[in-house]
Amino acid sequence: MHSPELLKGTLQTIVLKVLKDHGKMYGYEITQRVKELSDGRILLTEGALYPTLHKLEAEGLLKTEVVNIGKRIRKYYLLTAPGKALAKDRVSEFVDFINTMSSVLQVKVG
Amino acid sequence: MTLQSEHIDFIIKDLHRRGLLLDGFKDEVVDHVCSAIEGEMARGERFMDAYQKVISSFGGNDGLQQTQDLTIQYENKKLKVMIQNYFTIAFRNLKKQRFYTAINIAGLAVGVASCLIIVLFVMNELSYDKHWSDNDRLFRAQSEIKFGDNHLIMAVTPGPLAETLMKDFPEVESAARFWNYDTYIFKHGDETFKEPNSVFADSNIFRIFDMHFVAGDPHTALKEPNSMVITQKIAEKYFPGQNALGQSITSNSNKSWKITGIVDNAPKNGHFHFNFMLSLVSVEYNKDPNWLSNNFNTYVKLRKGADAKALEAKFPTMIDTYAGPQAKAALGADFTMEKFRAAGNKIEFTLIPVTDIHLKSDRMAEMEANSDITYVYIFSIIAGFILIVACINFMNLSTARSSNRAKEVGIRKVMGSMRSHLVRQFLTESVLLSIFSFLIAIGLAWMAVPLFNELALKELSIPFQSPVFWLLIGGCALITGVLAGLYPSFFLSAFRPVNVLKGNLALGTKSGVVRGALVVFQFWISIVLVVGTIAVNRQLNYIQNTKIGFNKDQIIVIRDAYVLGDQLQSFKEEVEKDTRIISGTISAFLPVSNTARSDNTHWPEGKAPTDENMVSIQVWRVDYDYVKTLGMKIIQGRDFSKEFLSDSSGVILNQAAVKMFGYQDDPIGKKISTFAESIIDGTKKLKTSTIVGVVEDFNFESLRQNIGPLALFLEKSSGRISFRFEAKNTQEVIKTIESQWKKLGPGQPFDYSFLDEDFGNMYSAEQRLGRIFTVFAVLAIIIACLGLFALTAFTAEQRTKEIGIRKVLGASVSGIVVLLSKEFGKLILIAFILAAPVAWYGIDKWLESYQYKTEIGVFVYLLAGLAAFGIAWLTMSFQSIKAALANPIKSLRSE
Repeated sequence: MHSPELLKGTLQTIVLKVLKDHGKMYGYEITQRVKELSDGRILLTEGALYPTLHKLEAEGLLKTEVVNIGKRIRKYYLLTAPGKALAKDRVSEFVDFINTMSSVLQVKVG
Repeated sequence: MTLQSEHIDFIIKDLHRRGLLLDGFKDEVVDHVCSAIEGEMARGERFMDAYQKVISSFGGNDGLQQTQDLTIQYENKKLKVMIQNYFTIAFRNLKKQRFYTAINIAGLAVGVASCLIIVLFVMNELSYDKHWSDNDRLFRAQSEIKFGDNHLIMAVTPGPLAETLMKDFPEVESAARFWNYDTYIFKHGDETFKEPNSVFADSNIFRIFDMHFVAGDPHTALKEPNSMVITQKIAEKYFPGQNALGQSITSNSNKSWKITGIVDNAPKNGHFHFNFMLSLVSVEYNKDPNWLSNNFNTYVKLRKGADAKALEAKFPTMIDTYAGPQAKAALGADFTMEKFRAAGNKIEFTLIPVTDIHLKSDRMAEMEANSDITYVYIFSIIAGFILIVACINFMNLSTARSSNRAKEVGIRKVMGSMRSHLVRQFLTESVLLSIFSFLIAIGLAWMAVPLFNELALKELSIPFQSPVFWLLIGGCALITGVLAGLYPSFFLSAFRPVNVLKGNLALGTKSGVVRGALVVFQFWISIVLVVGTIAVNRQLNYIQNTKIGFNKDQIIVIRDAYVLGDQLQSFKEEVEKDTRIISGTISAFLPVSNTARSDNTHWPEGKAPTDENMVSIQVWRVDYDYVKTLGMKIIQGRDFSKEFLSDSSGVILNQAAVKMFGYQDDPIGKKISTFAESIIDGTKKLKTSTIVGVVEDFNFESLRQNIGPLALFLEKSSGRISFRFEAKNTQEVIKTIESQWKKLGPGQPFDYSFLDEDFGNMYSAEQRLGRIFTVFAVLAIIIACLGLFALTAFTAEQRTKEIGIRKVLGASVSGIVVLLSKEFGKLILIAFILAAPVAWYGIDKWLESYQYKTEIGVFVYLLAGLAAFGIAWLTMSFQSIKAALANPIKSLRSE
């Protein structure tokens, strides 16, 4: 498992990218999806995920849809147009970062 | 697998117990927990174990709380929520402070409404003659003549000028003339109508002024003699429901005028308003070749790109070519233009843009009385002043109340408000107030516009349909709100919470060099306006009560007396039989403006006319009873009398004329000569008159001008007939005269006025100015006092405890009132000292345009100062006395 310290700066990027690839998702689904994609090495904590989702929503990058399932109310998140643009930027920014890091640390990636 | 209903109930209840409360977030977490448990249970976990595991992945109770807190923080950043919050708080604050809110809104609303009306007025003034297409290429030619002691600045030019301009100057696209703008009488069927706003015009006038033709062809409309163009309004009046084009109307001289064009009614904001335009080719005078008489209003349209200044520069050569020979013929062989100019004389033509005429032209023979750009400036300044006064109120009240809100600011800051949050909060409040005030202001203005129209003789209306107007109003409301709220909001948000909460900051009571300065400024404005108002009204009074050299009261003037023809003399005699009529006189020349005028050059008999001894004087044609009826005073010699047959060649001069001719000793019996044109063959011959009397100078133009030289001759002039009557029973006198009129001139319009009213009308512009000035000055003072009222109320409130203690220790009521009033009293004194010189300077400038001006003594300034102080003191005293009379027990017991 990766340390939460390493993940801190990438949380928004992960959320945006996952939502970009999968359309609308609810909170638990996002954690599961990330877990799956990372073979269980990245576990998003709820304590970090939800504030991030609400922040992105407040900034107008996400919008929400609410669906009633029996007694439960499920809130789906999906990207707005500026959210989509940002997701793309963030991913390419991160690729740049990895390349820089690989030169700094003198290692080859993948 | 999915969870049972009772499991979900348990989860909801348990999460609630753990402190999960946030709407929206709670549901989300419940769903998350449920989904996670389902996942665990699918892997074989029991429900309770799965639940514990999920909760611990949240970080237990603490983790849940933290997540919730973080979420709340982020949510609050949402703009919508923030703004909603600002609004809620703003509304609460405004509601809590009803008294101050009301004063703020009322002051600002009245201020903005006044401003709005003034802006409408100013825009209307600036819009004159902008409706003509190509108005940047339209000019009026005008003339200035200086000859010996005569100096004439006129809006009119010689008849041949228009044609010469078109012929000699390729840059002139078109030039056309108006002539004889006046009232004519038309007959239609059995009825007779007086038609003001009638004029003769060249046929190409429509090439310059592109009036819209409803019917007829602008190119041919005025080409034929006895054709005319009328407005739609007139077409409706004479031919209701019919096609007026091609019909004819008869003029008073039995000439028939054929309607060859119908145009839209003249827009209000033009410098002329014609209803009838008669073809100028109908009168022989249109071919007048005289370059030395000025009787035509000449308008010029330049070609694209032509420069008016460059054209003007070519005029002197044109004058030498055309006017020079004519002047030589009149003045003798040794006349040359060079000598003429060398003697300091001049004949000069200039061009003025048509769009400038309304505000910048005040010449002899203007078509209508124009306005003055000074008024536009003055009113713009007043509008600005009123708005500033209203905004100052706003700022003062907000900062004054800051001590009450200082605690609020402290707490907010402690709770984590940034300074920018507070600034925004306060700005929201002020913008909200401002928008509200503007809405009320629009309502107020809407109600006040009809009153203002009556006052200012305008037809303004608020352009509710125009999106630009709403955009402007919205913009202004925002800007005013932001500007008015800027200072308070930065002032308040700069408080340091430690000081405020510890109570170290005693703001509001005495703080405020700035607030003091603002009050001084407000009253500075008010005092300037008060002095201005008193000065304008004093000058008006002075003009109307000053010695004018004749008796304007109890004289009735009947216009267009010539319609009676030969019957006029017998009409006069019949009316004079009535015992209430003292005397009557037939003459179109009266000492009020808009009556007949003519002038001619005279010189002492027996000398050759030269530049030095020629005097251009007003030549008035009057009858035997003129001097007597108008109550003028003969100071030398005698009045015209039927006993002296020789009086037909006699003349009465005024003092100014005697002085101009340079008669040191007795002028009686001296003779003056002039060239008179023979009516029969047009030849000029010498006419000599003997001076029989000298009449005391009387004012015959506005008192802005000096009294010029004037001569009375015994000649027929049947334009008007005037009667002096006894002071009582005015209505009956009118009835008697009217019945005589109807008898001798059946069907002729009986149109009368009183000389004192006509005299008053000469100053109607000043009177209007005075009234409008008064209204707005009063408004400014009211708004300023409103602010002062609230400020005193506030101070008294702040110092309740102090007053209580003072009273307990033995202070008297009057002592406390003085204590409370002193602070603001000082400010008003400072305002007065600063305002007096400015007001003095402004009034001095304004009075410069008057020949006869009143003295504005120190007394007026003191009066204005005292008035401002008195009103302010009255405003303050209500609150001070209330505070001083309050029972100290009440103020000291609480808390």
